[in-house]
Amino acid sequence: MYRRSGRGRVLLLVFIALSLVIITLDFRQNPGGPLKRARDLAATVVAPVQRGFSAVTRPVGDFFSSLGDLTDLRSKNERLEEDLAEAESDAAALPQIEEDLAVLQEYFELDKSWRQMDRVTAPVIGRAPSNYKWAVEIDRGRSSGIRPDMSVIAPQGLVGKVIRAGSNTATVLLLIDPDGAASATVEGEGNNGTIRGNGGSELLSLEFIRTDADVNVGDTVVTSGQDGGIFPRGINIGSVAEVGGEEADVSKDITVEPFVDFDGLTYVTVLLETGDRIAEDRAESR
Amino acid sequence: MSATARDVKTPSVLADIGVARGAAIAALIVLAVALQSTLLARLTLLGVRPQLVLVVVVILAFLDGERVGLVTGFFGGLLIDLLLPGSIIGLTALVYTCIGYGVGLFRQFAPTESVLSPVFGVAMASALAEFGYAAMAIMLGQPWVSIGFTAKVAGLVVLYNTLMTPFAFPLVRRVADRFRPERVHTWS
Repeated sequence: MYRRSGRGRVLLLVFIALSLVIITLDFRQNPGGPLKRARDLAATVVAPVQRGFSAVTRPVGDFFSSLGDLTDLRSKNERLEEDLAEAESDAAALPQIEEDLAVLQEYFELDKSWRQMDRVTAPVIGRAPSNYKWAVEIDRGRSSGIRPDMSVIAPQGLVGKVIRAGSNTATVLLLIDPDGAASATVEGEGNNGTIRGNGGSELLSLEFIRTDADVNVGDTVVTSGQDGGIFPRGINIGSVAEVGGEEADVSKDITVEPFVDFDGLTYVTVLLETGDRIAEDRAESR
Repeated sequence: MSATARDVKTPSVLADIGVARGAAIAALIVLAVALQSTLLARLTLLGVRPQLVLVVVVILAFLDGERVGLVTGFFGGLLIDLLLPGSIIGLTALVYTCIGYGVGLFRQFAPTESVLSPVFGVAMASALAEFGYAAMAIMLGQPWVSIGFTAKVAGLVVLYNTLMTPFAFPLVRRVADRFRPERVHTWS
């Protein structure tokens, strides 16, 4: 028993030392280092199992979440039919509007709208296996044109950005993660700020909006396009839930409720003309 | 022929685990990580996810002792770290290594026949792992990790992990026993 405990202690010290070496390497490594390759390898090993589990468990999860919606399905259906009729009439005028927009963009040298950008839609196959990180794994990667720093959206609004792109999978950092941030503004208000995740809370914080800015509860917050090409201008983020801060403060404390349900994400869309590509295009045009 | 305790050759870590069993445990860890990041990530308790990999590590440490516990803890934690974007690689590995060793070492004090022993072990280990991770994260420059948030996460993870243990324990024991290598003690 004594010898076994002694050997266990030696092994413990060896593995603690190994962990500390890895932590140090992680702090000191440059992008593309050995640990980056290890991340890609780990994602490659786990992704097929995640894909299988997602395919099996998604219908179960969807079934339970849709049970609560059964009562208002009829009214929702009627509303959708009305929306469809309206959308069909709008669609007839769309080609002309797009043509006019393209001419105006070229004339005034405006950035391309995110609505016109090439995009790829991908299923969510996994989530970060931790309570201290908010990210999702998607089933498309470099082979579909996805690269780090590209914007990711859902029909309701901004989801986050790509932070790792493997050959067939990619990792998206969600906006609710404390490391997730985007340049944002309150629609109709000229002030630019930064929208930031709070981790444990589903609510976001809008920082650096001046105290004299006219911001009210219910106002819509959108991206301002001041991120050097990562998030294009005008993507919906959420609505203002609370406005705080003293008059003596430099900026307001604004809490924003996101439009996107980050827990319920099943598909997301990656805007392929954002991130490095758009930043490079801008640099070339200067 | 006479033999003393000193003459008994104690098995190495590799012999403790065995190649086939090592592969089976590795597959079990990958499966646990995949489950933790898919189905269990959707079945949250107040937004908190259970930590199935930790449960597997604690059960293995409880069944096979500190050396198997720390090795599976290290590799299970490392796999989680590698799948967490922007996190500090090695942090979960370090915490789970210590947890695996600690559970394996203190199992000798637990009543072996009691079904509550692994459940209690998982509960204690879950609380220690969450607070240990949070403390290390704050020390390594993640200031947003607060005591209040960690306490909420730790409480719910303890509850969730404890509820999963009675279901996970027989499955993990079955895999651990199925590939258990013959222990050969030689006498010189």
